[in-house]
Amino acid sequence: MDLRVITNERTELEIEIAGEDHTFMNVLKSALLETDGVVAATYDMNPEQSGGQTEPILSIKTEEGTAPLDALEVAADEVQEQSDAFHSAFEAAA
Amino acid sequence: MSEQYEVEFIERGDREATFLVRGVTPAFANGVRRAMLADVPTLSIDEVRVVENSSVMFDEQIGLRLGLVPLTTPRDEFSEGETVTLALDVEGPGTAYSGDLVSSDDLVSPAEENVPIIDLKEGQRLEIEADAVMDTGKEHAKHQGGVAVGYRHLQRIEVVGDNEAFEQDDPRIVRGVIEAEGELVPAESFGNDLTNRYEGKEVEVHDVPNAFVFDVETDGSMSVDDLVLAAVDSIGDRADELAAAVQL
Repeated sequence: MDLRVITNERTELEIEIAGEDHTFMNVLKSALLETDGVVAATYDMNPEQSGGQTEPILSIKTEEGTAPLDALEVAADEVQEQSDAFHSAFEAAA
Repeated sequence: MSEQYEVEFIERGDREATFLVRGVTPAFANGVRRAMLADVPTLSIDEVRVVENSSVMFDEQIGLRLGLVPLTTPRDEFSEGETVTLALDVEGPGTAYSGDLVSSDDLVSPAEENVPIIDLKEGQRLEIEADAVMDTGKEHAKHQGGVAVGYRHLQRIEVVGDNEAFEQDDPRIVRGVIEAEGELVPAESFGNDLTNRYEGKEVEVHDVPNAFVFDVETDGSMSVDDLVLAAVDSIGDRADELAAAVQL
Protein backbone atom coordinates (compact mmCIF):
# COMPACT_ATOMS: atom_id res chain seq x y z
CA MET A 1 0.00 0.00 0.00
CA ASP A 2 1.67 3.17 -1.24
CA LEU A 3 0.10 6.50 -0.46
CA ARG A 4 0.54 9.55 -2.63
CA VAL A 5 -1.14 12.77 -1.61
CA ILE A 6 -2.48 14.71 -4.60
CA THR A 7 -4.18 17.62 -2.82
CA ASN A 8 -4.21 18.27 0.88
CA GLU A 9 -6.12 21.32 2.03
CA ARG A 10 -7.81 22.26 5.26
CA THR A 11 -11.06 20.46 4.48
CA GLU A 12 -10.22 18.56 1.34
CA LEU A 13 -7.98 15.64 0.60
CA GLU A 14 -7.21 13.64 -2.50
CA ILE A 15 -4.95 10.66 -2.01
CA GLU A 16 -3.89 7.79 -4.21
CA ILE A 17 -3.84 4.44 -2.48
CA ALA A 18 -1.77 2.28 -4.79
CA GLY A 19 -2.23 -1.47 -4.80
CA GLU A 20 -5.79 -1.49 -3.51
CA ASP A 21 -9.03 -2.24 -5.32
CA HIS A 22 -12.78 -2.11 -4.69
CA THR A 23 -12.48 -4.77 -1.98
CA PHE A 24 -10.86 -2.41 0.46
CA MET A 25 -11.74 1.02 -0.99
CA ASN A 26 -15.48 0.49 -0.76
CA VAL A 27 -15.22 -0.70 2.83
CA LEU A 28 -13.08 2.33 3.65
CA LYS A 29 -15.42 4.72 1.86
CA SER A 30 -18.43 3.41 3.73
CA ALA A 31 -16.57 3.80 7.05
CA LEU A 32 -15.58 7.35 6.10
CA LEU A 33 -19.18 8.29 5.37
CA GLU A 34 -20.06 7.20 8.91
CA THR A 35 -17.22 9.20 10.43
CA ASP A 36 -18.00 12.42 12.30
CA GLY A 37 -17.03 15.58 10.47
CA VAL A 38 -16.94 14.00 7.03
CA VAL A 39 -19.17 15.74 4.48
CA ALA A 40 -18.33 13.66 1.45
CA ALA A 41 -16.15 10.70 0.64
CA THR A 42 -15.71 8.73 -2.52
CA TYR A 43 -13.11 6.95 -4.57
CA ASP A 44 -12.43 6.75 -8.24
CA MET A 45 -10.91 3.76 -9.93
CA ASN A 46 -10.39 2.97 -13.58
CA PRO A 47 -10.03 -0.40 -15.24
CA GLU A 48 -6.60 -1.59 -16.29
CA GLN A 49 -7.46 -1.28 -19.97
CA SER A 50 -8.19 2.45 -19.64
CA GLY A 51 -4.48 3.14 -19.83
CA GLY A 52 -4.70 6.14 -17.52
CA GLN A 53 -4.91 6.43 -13.76
CA THR A 54 -5.70 2.91 -12.64
CA GLU A 55 -4.86 3.14 -8.96
CA PRO A 56 -7.78 4.25 -6.76
CA ILE A 57 -7.95 7.88 -5.71
CA LEU A 58 -9.76 8.60 -2.49
CA SER A 59 -11.39 12.02 -2.09
CA ILE A 60 -12.56 13.32 1.26
CA LYS A 61 -14.32 16.55 2.13
CA THR A 62 -14.73 17.46 5.76
CA GLU A 63 -16.44 20.06 7.87
CA GLU A 64 -14.48 23.06 9.11
CA GLY A 65 -12.45 21.94 12.11
CA THR A 66 -11.86 18.35 11.01
CA ALA A 67 -8.64 17.56 9.21
CA PRO A 68 -9.34 15.08 6.42
CA LEU A 69 -6.24 13.06 7.25
CA ASP A 70 -7.48 12.65 10.82
CA ALA A 71 -10.86 11.51 9.53
CA LEU A 72 -9.07 8.97 7.32
CA GLU A 73 -7.21 7.64 10.31
CA VAL A 74 -10.43 7.34 12.33
CA ALA A 75 -12.10 5.49 9.46
CA ALA A 76 -9.14 3.11 9.06
CA ASP A 77 -9.31 2.33 12.77
CA GLU A 78 -13.04 1.74 12.43
CA VAL A 79 -12.52 -0.77 9.60
CA GLN A 80 -9.93 -2.49 11.74
CA GLU A 81 -12.37 -2.69 14.64
CA GLN A 82 -15.08 -4.07 12.37
CA SER A 83 -12.72 -6.74 11.13
CA ASP A 84 -11.68 -7.69 14.67
CA ALA A 85 -15.32 -7.81 15.78
CA PHE A 86 -16.24 -10.01 12.80
CA HIS A 87 -13.28 -12.28 13.49
CA SER A 88 -14.08 -12.82 17.15
CA ALA A 89 -17.83 -13.20 16.52
CA PHE A 90 -17.10 -15.84 13.86
CA GLU A 91 -14.68 -17.70 16.10
CA ALA A 92 -17.19 -17.63 18.95
CA ALA A 93 -19.83 -19.24 16.74
CA ALA A 94 -17.45 -21.72 15.11
CA MET B 1 -19.91 3.16 16.39
CA SER B 2 -19.37 -0.47 15.48
CA GLU B 3 -22.42 -2.52 16.21
CA GLN B 4 -22.51 -5.80 18.04
CA TYR B 5 -21.56 -8.57 15.66
CA GLU B 6 -23.27 -11.89 15.92
CA VAL B 7 -22.60 -15.01 13.89
CA GLU B 8 -24.91 -17.99 13.75
CA PHE B 9 -24.40 -21.11 11.68
CA ILE B 10 -27.34 -22.51 9.76
CA GLU B 11 -25.42 -25.24 8.01
CA ARG B 12 -21.91 -26.15 8.78
CA GLY B 13 -19.53 -28.41 6.96
CA ASP B 14 -15.83 -28.41 6.33
CA ARG B 15 -16.05 -27.25 2.74
CA GLU B 16 -19.53 -25.79 2.65
CA ALA B 17 -21.36 -23.65 5.15
CA THR B 18 -24.21 -21.21 5.53
CA PHE B 19 -24.05 -18.67 8.30
CA LEU B 20 -25.79 -15.51 9.36
CA VAL B 21 -23.90 -12.39 10.37
CA ARG B 22 -25.69 -9.58 12.15
CA GLY B 23 -24.39 -6.06 12.56
CA VAL B 24 -22.27 -6.03 9.43
CA THR B 25 -22.46 -3.12 6.97
CA PRO B 26 -23.27 -3.95 3.34
CA ALA B 27 -19.86 -2.62 2.29
CA PHE B 28 -18.04 -4.81 4.77
CA ALA B 29 -20.06 -7.87 3.79
CA ASN B 30 -19.09 -7.31 0.18
CA GLY B 31 -15.49 -6.68 1.15
CA VAL B 32 -15.37 -10.04 2.90
CA ARG B 33 -16.95 -11.78 -0.09
CA ARG B 34 -14.48 -10.21 -2.50
CA ALA B 35 -11.54 -10.96 -0.22
CA MET B 36 -12.58 -14.63 -0.03
CA LEU B 37 -12.50 -14.86 -3.81
CA ALA B 38 -9.51 -12.78 -4.73
CA ASP B 39 -7.30 -12.06 -1.74
CA VAL B 40 -6.88 -15.25 0.26
CA PRO B 41 -3.81 -17.03 -1.11
CA THR B 42 -3.73 -20.76 -1.79
CA LEU B 43 -1.13 -23.12 -3.18
CA SER B 44 -1.43 -24.14 -6.79
CA ILE B 45 0.94 -25.66 -9.31
CA ASP B 46 2.48 -22.90 -11.36
CA GLU B 47 5.63 -24.32 -12.89
CA VAL B 48 6.10 -27.77 -14.36
CA ARG B 49 9.36 -29.43 -15.32
CA VAL B 50 8.58 -32.20 -17.76
CA VAL B 51 10.83 -35.25 -17.58
CA GLU B 52 8.78 -37.30 -19.99
CA ASN B 53 5.50 -36.60 -21.64
CA SER B 54 4.62 -39.16 -24.26
CA SER B 55 0.90 -38.63 -23.76
CA VAL B 56 -1.36 -37.22 -26.45
CA MET B 57 -1.38 -33.75 -24.89
CA PHE B 58 1.07 -30.88 -25.06
CA ASP B 59 3.09 -30.06 -21.96
CA GLU B 60 1.22 -26.75 -21.63
CA GLN B 61 -2.17 -28.45 -21.54
CA ILE B 62 -0.96 -30.85 -18.86
CA GLY B 63 0.43 -27.84 -17.00
CA LEU B 64 -2.93 -26.09 -17.02
CA ARG B 65 -4.71 -29.18 -15.76
CA LEU B 66 -2.18 -29.63 -12.96
CA GLY B 67 -2.63 -26.00 -11.97
CA LEU B 68 -6.34 -26.47 -11.50
CA VAL B 69 -5.90 -29.28 -8.96
CA PRO B 70 -6.71 -27.82 -5.54
CA LEU B 71 -3.97 -28.40 -2.97
CA THR B 72 -4.48 -28.31 0.78
CA THR B 73 -3.08 -25.09 2.14
CA PRO B 74 -2.71 -25.04 5.92
CA ARG B 75 -3.37 -21.68 7.50
CA ASP B 76 -0.40 -19.53 8.49
CA GLU B 77 2.15 -22.07 7.29
CA PHE B 78 3.04 -20.45 4.00
CA SER B 79 3.44 -16.88 2.89
CA GLU B 80 2.76 -15.53 -0.57
CA GLY B 81 5.37 -16.55 -3.09
CA GLU B 82 6.56 -19.63 -1.19
CA THR B 83 6.73 -22.85 -3.15
CA VAL B 84 6.28 -26.57 -2.54
CA THR B 85 7.52 -29.21 -4.94
CA LEU B 86 5.36 -32.09 -6.14
CA ALA B 87 6.05 -34.94 -8.48
CA LEU B 88 3.99 -37.23 -10.67
CA ASP B 89 5.04 -40.39 -12.46
CA VAL B 90 2.43 -42.53 -14.15
CA GLU B 91 2.83 -45.07 -16.91
CA GLY B 92 0.08 -46.27 -19.22
CA PRO B 93 -2.19 -47.99 -19.69
CA GLY B 94 -4.19 -46.14 -17.09
CA THR B 95 -5.26 -42.70 -16.00
CA ALA B 96 -3.09 -40.22 -14.16
CA TYR B 97 -5.12 -38.81 -11.30
CA SER B 98 -4.46 -35.88 -9.00
CA GLY B 99 -4.06 -38.46 -6.25
CA ASP B 100 -0.91 -39.70 -7.99
CA LEU B 101 0.83 -36.41 -7.16
CA VAL B 102 3.48 -36.90 -4.51
CA SER B 103 4.21 -33.88 -2.36
CA SER B 104 7.52 -33.04 -0.73
CA ASP B 105 5.64 -31.49 2.19
CA ASP B 106 3.31 -33.53 4.40
CA LEU B 107 1.08 -30.49 4.96
CA VAL B 108 0.38 -30.14 1.27
CA SER B 109 -1.51 -32.72 -0.75
CA PRO B 110 -4.18 -32.76 -3.44
CA ALA B 111 -7.52 -31.85 -1.83
CA GLU B 112 -9.24 -34.11 -4.32
CA GLU B 113 -7.81 -37.52 -5.18
CA ASN B 114 -9.91 -38.23 -8.23
CA VAL B 115 -9.28 -35.38 -10.63
CA PRO B 116 -8.28 -37.05 -13.90
CA ILE B 117 -5.25 -35.45 -15.47
CA ILE B 118 -4.86 -37.58 -18.54
CA ASP B 119 -5.69 -40.99 -19.89
CA LEU B 120 -2.52 -42.83 -20.85
CA LYS B 121 -2.44 -45.63 -23.40
CA GLU B 122 0.00 -48.52 -23.61
CA GLY B 123 3.57 -47.22 -23.73
CA GLN B 124 2.70 -43.64 -22.85
CA ARG B 125 4.18 -42.08 -19.78
CA LEU B 126 3.92 -38.84 -17.86
CA GLU B 127 6.70 -37.90 -15.50
CA ILE B 128 6.90 -34.39 -14.17
CA GLU B 129 8.13 -32.33 -11.29
CA ALA B 130 6.09 -29.26 -10.37
CA ASP B 131 6.34 -26.24 -8.13
CA ALA B 132 3.19 -25.14 -6.38
CA VAL B 133 3.29 -21.46 -5.48
CA MET B 134 1.28 -19.54 -2.91
CA ASP B 135 -0.67 -16.78 -4.65
CA THR B 136 -4.06 -15.10 -4.74
CA GLY B 137 -7.17 -15.44 -6.88
CA LYS B 138 -6.45 -11.98 -8.21
CA GLU B 139 -3.43 -13.41 -9.99
CA HIS B 140 -5.08 -16.54 -11.36
CA ALA B 141 -8.41 -18.25 -10.67
CA LYS B 142 -6.58 -21.48 -9.79
CA HIS B 143 -5.50 -19.78 -6.57
CA GLN B 144 -9.08 -19.02 -5.60
CA GLY B 145 -9.88 -20.70 -2.28
CA GLY B 146 -13.60 -19.90 -2.39
CA VAL B 147 -15.39 -21.31 -5.40
CA ALA B 148 -18.96 -20.30 -4.61
CA VAL B 149 -19.21 -17.41 -2.23
CA GLY B 150 -22.19 -15.15 -1.87
CA TYR B 151 -24.55 -13.52 0.55
CA ARG B 152 -28.09 -12.26 0.69
CA HIS B 153 -30.19 -10.30 3.10
CA LEU B 154 -31.90 -12.12 5.91
CA GLN B 155 -35.64 -11.71 5.37
CA ARG B 156 -38.15 -11.34 8.13
CA ILE B 157 -41.65 -12.68 7.57
CA GLU B 158 -44.56 -10.98 9.21
CA VAL B 159 -48.10 -12.31 9.21
CA VAL B 160 -50.36 -9.29 8.78
CA GLY B 161 -53.73 -10.97 8.44
CA ASP B 162 -55.80 -13.57 6.68
CA ASN B 163 -56.38 -13.79 2.98
CA GLU B 164 -59.89 -13.05 1.87
CA ALA B 165 -62.09 -16.08 1.37
CA PHE B 166 -61.72 -17.82 -2.01
CA GLU B 167 -58.77 -15.62 -2.88
CA GLN B 168 -56.34 -17.24 -5.28
CA ASP B 169 -53.20 -18.29 -3.46
CA ASP B 170 -50.39 -17.26 -5.79
CA PRO B 171 -47.00 -18.73 -4.97
CA ARG B 172 -44.75 -16.41 -3.00
CA ILE B 173 -41.17 -17.49 -3.62
CA VAL B 174 -38.36 -16.63 -1.24
CA ARG B 175 -34.77 -17.86 -1.23
CA GLY B 176 -32.06 -18.23 1.33
CA VAL B 177 -33.00 -18.02 4.96
CA ILE B 178 -35.99 -16.38 6.58
CA GLU B 179 -36.58 -15.19 10.08
CA ALA B 180 -40.03 -16.16 11.27
CA GLU B 181 -41.37 -16.19 14.81
CA GLY B 182 -37.85 -15.45 16.03
CA GLU B 183 -36.37 -18.51 14.36
CA LEU B 184 -34.10 -18.98 11.38
CA VAL B 185 -35.67 -21.19 8.76
CA PRO B 186 -33.99 -22.21 5.48
CA ALA B 187 -36.42 -21.45 2.68
CA GLU B 188 -35.82 -24.93 1.20
CA SER B 189 -37.62 -26.46 4.17
CA PHE B 190 -40.97 -25.24 2.81
CA GLY B 191 -40.22 -25.51 -0.87
CA ASN B 192 -39.19 -21.83 -1.10
CA ASP B 193 -42.89 -20.93 -1.23
CA LEU B 194 -44.32 -18.92 1.62
CA THR B 195 -47.87 -20.02 0.81
CA ASN B 196 -46.87 -23.53 1.91
CA ARG B 197 -45.83 -22.26 5.31
CA TYR B 198 -48.56 -19.68 5.80
CA GLU B 199 -51.62 -21.11 4.11
CA GLY B 200 -54.41 -18.58 3.79
CA LYS B 201 -52.40 -15.87 5.52
CA GLU B 202 -51.33 -12.52 4.22
CA VAL B 203 -47.63 -12.04 4.84
CA GLU B 204 -45.12 -9.25 4.42
CA VAL B 205 -41.42 -9.82 3.67
CA HIS B 206 -38.84 -7.34 4.91
CA ASP B 207 -35.06 -7.31 4.60
CA VAL B 208 -33.44 -7.23 8.02
CA PRO B 209 -30.97 -4.34 8.01
CA ASN B 210 -27.30 -5.29 8.38
CA ALA B 211 -28.06 -9.00 8.62
CA PHE B 212 -26.55 -11.11 5.87
CA VAL B 213 -26.65 -14.81 5.21
CA PHE B 214 -23.38 -15.98 3.69
CA ASP B 215 -23.08 -19.07 1.56
CA VAL B 216 -19.50 -20.21 1.34
CA GLU B 217 -18.06 -23.17 -0.51
CA THR B 218 -14.34 -23.79 -0.81
CA ASP B 219 -12.37 -25.90 -3.28
CA GLY B 220 -10.98 -27.97 -0.43
CA SER B 221 -7.68 -26.15 -0.16
CA MET B 222 -8.86 -24.90 3.22
CA SER B 223 -11.87 -25.12 5.49
CA VAL B 224 -14.68 -22.59 5.38
CA ASP B 225 -13.58 -21.29 8.78
CA ASP B 226 -10.03 -20.67 7.62
CA LEU B 227 -11.20 -18.99 4.45
CA VAL B 228 -13.60 -16.61 6.17
CA LEU B 229 -11.16 -15.70 8.91
CA ALA B 230 -8.31 -15.17 6.46
CA ALA B 231 -10.54 -12.90 4.35
CA VAL B 232 -11.66 -10.85 7.34
CA ASP B 233 -8.09 -10.55 8.57
CA SER B 234 -6.84 -9.43 5.17
CA ILE B 235 -9.22 -6.45 5.32
CA GLY B 236 -8.19 -5.70 8.90
CA ASP B 237 -4.52 -5.87 7.97
CA ARG B 238 -5.00 -3.39 5.16
CA ALA B 239 -6.81 -0.99 7.48
CA ASP B 240 -3.93 -1.40 9.92
CA GLU B 241 -1.42 -0.62 7.24
CA LEU B 242 -3.37 2.44 6.13
CA ALA B 243 -3.72 3.77 9.68
CA ALA B 244 0.03 3.35 10.20
CA ALA B 245 0.82 5.05 6.88
CA VAL B 246 -1.48 7.98 7.59
CA GLN B 247 0.10 8.62 10.97
CA LEU B 248 3.48 9.26 9.39
